[in-house]
Amino acid sequence: MTSVRRIATAALVTGAFVLTLTACGPKPDPVHKEQILSMGTLVNITLWGVNDKLAQKAFSAANEDFNYMQTAYNPWKPGPMGRTNQLLALDAWFSANPSILPLIKRAKTLYHSSDGLFDPAIGRLIGLWGFHSDTLPKGPPPKQAAIERLLAEHPTMDDVEIKGIRMRATNAAVQVDTGGFAKGYAVDRVVDHLRRLGVHNAIVDAGGDLRAIGSRGGAPWRIGIRDPGGKGILAEVDVKGDQSVFTSGVYERFYTYHGKRYHHIIDPRTGYPARGTTSATVIGTDGTVADAAATALLIAGPSQWHHIAESMGVKYAMLVASDGTVYMNPAMAKRIHFQHKPAKVVVSKPL
Amino acid sequence: MTRADVVVLVLALALLPLLYVKFWHHGAAGEQVRIRVDGKPWKVVSLAHDRRVTVPGALGDSVLEIKDGAVRFIASPCASKFCIHSGWLHDGGAFTACLPNRVSIEVIGARARYDAINF
Amino acid sequence: MELSVQPDRTDHRIAWLAALAITIHIAESALPNPLPGVKPGLANVVTIAVLCLYGWRMAAWVSLLRVLVGSLLLGTFLSPTFVLSLAGALASITTLGAASALSAHLLPGRGLGPAGYSLLAAMAHIAGQFYSAYWLFIPHAALFTLLPVLMTLAVILGLINGIITRTMLQRLSPSSPS
Repeated sequence: MTSVRRIATAALVTGAFVLTLTACGPKPDPVHKEQILSMGTLVNITLWGVNDKLAQKAFSAANEDFNYMQTAYNPWKPGPMGRTNQLLALDAWFSANPSILPLIKRAKTLYHSSDGLFDPAIGRLIGLWGFHSDTLPKGPPPKQAAIERLLAEHPTMDDVEIKGIRMRATNAAVQVDTGGFAKGYAVDRVVDHLRRLGVHNAIVDAGGDLRAIGSRGGAPWRIGIRDPGGKGILAEVDVKGDQSVFTSGVYERFYTYHGKRYHHIIDPRTGYPARGTTSATVIGTDGTVADAAATALLIAGPSQWHHIAESMGVKYAMLVASDGTVYMNPAMAKRIHFQHKPAKVVVSKPL
Repeated sequence: MTRADVVVLVLALALLPLLYVKFWHHGAAGEQVRIRVDGKPWKVVSLAHDRRVTVPGALGDSVLEIKDGAVRFIASPCASKFCIHSGWLHDGGAFTACLPNRVSIEVIGARARYDAINF
Repeated sequence: MELSVQPDRTDHRIAWLAALAITIHIAESALPNPLPGVKPGLANVVTIAVLCLYGWRMAAWVSLLRVLVGSLLLGTFLSPTFVLSLAGALASITTLGAASALSAHLLPGRGLGPAGYSLLAAMAHIAGQFYSAYWLFIPHAALFTLLPVLMTLAVILGLINGIITRTMLQRLSPSSPS
C-alpha cells in the first residue's frame, strides 16, 4: 500500500508536468488564404492574425478592387484605359478619367527615372508583335519595315501632357500599354485598401509578383523565387515590414516561330524583344516602382542594369542573364539564400 | 535515492521521447498537392505515390505527373505551356497554374516552406 | 512602545545561504557557456539542500534572492535574461512547493529526496524559462524544436545536481534523509 502511495505521489507530480508540456504547443497560426482569378492571372491573398469576419471582408474588397482594375486598366478593351488610348490618338485635350490620371502620372515619372527604358507609350509596337490579346499570337513576327516605321514615330511618355485634370498626347502614335506596371499598381491599391480595413499582416500575390506587409506573427514572410529555367526554387528571401518582390521574365508571355522565341518585353530603342536577360527581380517598398523597375532592368541587361537601378532608386536587384550568370548588388546578395547555387554570380558595386 | 526519486526519474525519462516525437517533425518537404479548378478546390492528392492525374479544365484536360514526391504539369491544352515550363514542384508552398485552362496546383505540407512564390 | 525590525536567526540563515547560492551562481557565470540559456545551475544545489533541511519557505527565499541579487551584481537586472531567470525560478519554486507538500502529506518519512526534487526543479525551471521566452520574446513555432533538447539537458543536469546535493547532505549530517 505504501509503495503504491510512493509511486502515486511521484506520478502525480510529474504527471502534472507532462500534461502541461505536451498540452502547451506552439500557438495556432491564424492564416487565411484565398485565390482570385483576375488581372489575367491567379491572385493569391494570404492574411495573418485576423478573425474570420475581417478575412471575408478583406477578400471581398480585394476581389472587387481587382475586378474593377482589370477592366479599368486594360489598354485595349472598352473601359477607362481603352477610352483614354482612343482619345490620346486624337491630339486634342480631354478630361482624364480619375482612375487613369494617377496611373499616367506615375508612368511619366517612371519613364524618366528609367532613362526611357520603361516606356508604356509604345503600345502600338507591342500590338504589332501581337501581345495585345489575352491569347498568345502564333507568329510570324512582324516585318522589319513595319517595326522601323513605328519606331520612327518615336512615341514616348513625354508626349503625354497633363494640365490639371486634362490630358493630351502631342504625338498621335502614343498608345499607353499598362502591362509593365499595372499589376504593381493594382497590388499597391489593394494593399492600401486592406490596411484601411485594419489588416496589417498580409501578402497580395498577383501571379507571382507580390507585396507583403507586416509579418507572420513576428516571423518574416518567406518568399521563394522560382528558377527561370524551371528547376524548382532558385532562391529564397525573407521579407518583413512592407516589401514588394517583382520579377519580369521572358518566359511569362512568348511565342515560338521557326525555332526562335519572341517574348512580350519590347525594347523601346530597338523595337524588338529585349535580348540578353532571362529575368530581373526587384525588391522595394512600392509595387508600382518594383514592377516598372523589373521591366526596365530586364531591358537594360547585364551591361546597364546597375545604372538604371541607381537612377530608379532601387535598393535590391537581381538579374539572371541569358547565359545563366546571376548579377546582383551587395545588399541583395546579403538577403538572398540560393537553393541551387548558380554557375556564376557577379556581385556589383553597391546601389 | 528514495523510491519516489526513482519514479520521478523514470517518468522524466519517459517524457523525453514524447517531446522529441511531438516537436521534431520538419514538414518542409511537400506531402500533398492541392488541385484547384476555376479557383475552387477540386482535389487533394498525396505526393507519396507515383501516378498521373487528369484534371478537367475550361479548355480541356490538363495532365499532372507525380513522381518522387514532386508534381508537374506534363500536358495542357493552353498555347503558352507556361505551366509545363514551370517544371517540378516539391517544396511546400510551391505553386503554378495553367491560366487558360483555369487549373492551378499548390504543394501543401505539414508546414509549407514558403509563404509565396515569386516568378 | 518601540517597534524595531530585528533580524532573527532565520533571517541570518536565509542571508547566509542566499549569499552562498549567489556566490556559486556568479562563479558559474564566469565559466564559458557552450549553449545559450543552459547552465549547470550549481546554485540550485543550495536551493534543494535548503528545501531538504529547512523547508520550502526558506528554499523559496533563497531562490528568489539568488535571482534578484545575482542579476543586480551581474548587471542583468530587469533585462530579458532577468525576466527569463525569474520565470524559471518562480516555476521551479511553485513545483517544489507542490511536490514537497504532496510528499510530506502522502509519503511522510519516505517521500522525495534531493535527487527527485532537483530533477523536478530543473525541469520546471527550464520549462518556465522556455515558455516565457516563447510568449514574451520569440513567438515562433520553430522555437519548439529546441524544447526536447533543453528538457533532456534539464533531466541530466537535474540528476547530477541532485546527486551532488545528496552527497553534500550526507556529509553534513550522516543521519539526514538520503
